[in-house]
Amino acid sequence: MAAYTKRLKQDLDRWVTRGLVDRSTADALLADAVSQDRRSLSFGFVLMMMAALLLGAAVLLVVASNWEAIPRLTRVVLLFCLIFVGYVGGALLKLRGHDALAEGAWLIAAATFGGAIALIGQMYHLSGDEEAALLTWFGGTLLAAAVLRSGPLTIGAGGIAVFWMVAKGFDLWSGGDLSRAYPIVAALVWAVSLWTGSSYARHLVALSLVLYAVVLAFHYDVTAVSLVLAGVSALLFAVAVLDPKRTEQIVRLDGRLDMHALIGFLTGAAMLQFDHMEETATLVLAAVIVFAAIIAALLLAGRESRGLRWIAYLGFTFELCFLYVTTLGTMLGTAGLFLASGVVLALIALLIIRVERRMNLRAA
Amino acid sequence: MRRSNGLLIAAIAVALVQIGFLSWIVMARAAVLRDGREVILKVAPVDPRDLLRGDYVRLGYDISRIPTSLLVEPPQAKSTKGHMVYVRLRKGADGFWQPAAANLDAPPSGALAPEEVDILGRAYDGQSLEGDTAIRVEYGLERFYLLEGEGRAIERDMNVRNFAVVVAVGSDGTPQIKALMDGDMQLYQEPLY
Repeated sequence: MAAYTKRLKQDLDRWVTRGLVDRSTADALLADAVSQDRRSLSFGFVLMMMAALLLGAAVLLVVASNWEAIPRLTRVVLLFCLIFVGYVGGALLKLRGHDALAEGAWLIAAATFGGAIALIGQMYHLSGDEEAALLTWFGGTLLAAAVLRSGPLTIGAGGIAVFWMVAKGFDLWSGGDLSRAYPIVAALVWAVSLWTGSSYARHLVALSLVLYAVVLAFHYDVTAVSLVLAGVSALLFAVAVLDPKRTEQIVRLDGRLDMHALIGFLTGAAMLQFDHMEETATLVLAAVIVFAAIIAALLLAGRESRGLRWIAYLGFTFELCFLYVTTLGTMLGTAGLFLASGVVLALIALLIIRVERRMNLRAA
Repeated sequence: MRRSNGLLIAAIAVALVQIGFLSWIVMARAAVLRDGREVILKVAPVDPRDLLRGDYVRLGYDISRIPTSLLVEPPQAKSTKGHMVYVRLRKGADGFWQPAAANLDAPPSGALAPEEVDILGRAYDGQSLEGDTAIRVEYGLERFYLLEGEGRAIERDMNVRNFAVVVAVGSDGTPQIKALMDGDMQLYQEPLY
């Protein structure tokens, strides 16, 4: 039993003896808390997913090291068996209630599918098809996620898609190009995540869209893309704050759209400032807007969301350091730099402590 | 009971779809190896290593650069972006096959002579088609995978001696590496599976 439910049980027992609540209400409350607890991500589940990813990586590495001792047809058949056993065995485990083991088996099967694509490419000396291979892997994994209604597989497919987008966008392969299809791919993952009930996959997609904007900025115009990113993010933030209930019904991000919007806004602002590093007037104006935005975000949505508060602090610190390095940093000697850094850090820490205390007081 | 059957059937279906897809790739490639026309191409080397795929040597060919003068129809497009290239190969007196004609997106018109074959490649993006120039073409034959550690030795030999590759070309022009030759000596022969 998790710490919270344990404490709740003690509290309820005390309340019952004091006559504050009756026994049946207490049992109902406890049962509800326990069921909620089970639904949330347990540490063991996360460990199991990591173990599955490691085993999957082992499969991929075996392929990569050109395992010549075994005839290649045997290797292919071996991988086919692993795929079959992974999916079907996972289904059997799921039916017996071993959710974590089941999802782990499915992840291994999906990773093996990717490994088999690479091995076949190697068998026939296929070249210049990394993109097709990755997209095939993505498609197979997303299909498995949809059919088996698996959250972790949805996240896996989303991860492959993000890797494809980044690798292509940043020219990992010769003739690299912007992955124009990424919004469609992201929409597919989003749609499947609604069916599989994986809000983590949606968070991944939301973050990846900010990353996509960064790639877009590299390929086109930094200023224009940054302004659009910051503008759209500000708009989304406003919508999320003004009508949280309806927004949540549409985006289903565990009520965290405001956090993603803040990340988007800060990313846009950062790119803009990096691009205009030499123009002090623009920098100062941008910095004022960023500080104002961070404070506004804290006041409007900071109370409910600890995550948003920490993003805000991070953005604040980053902005301050950036300003400091670009303007003051060159004027001070090394000793002065350390002194000033210490003072600035202390100020930030004080600010965070005060804000946190006020938020907690208000929440209480 | 119904739910349990449903999930099992779903899992089996996913496994079969993925395995079926992989088998289809293997079959298609094996078919080209088995039934394709054999041609021999002269090799020009480049350099090894790729994380996910073990050791390989990168290969370049004489036919990797196709002069625009070989195009049988003057191109409508200004750039190579997204274009496929069909190259008509003819067997030379030395046994190596050389490009005789080329066309964008469709095989060159006219029947094939007995010692000719059409091979399909993809033009690298962003090359100009205007004026008298040469376009770089990729055939999917640009890598040869080797046992770990053998890449360097072969790469070194390639700079000294003439290497060649035996390629099987399918009826639709899909090429597939069949063997790597060091001069007249065959280094590797690819089994069908």
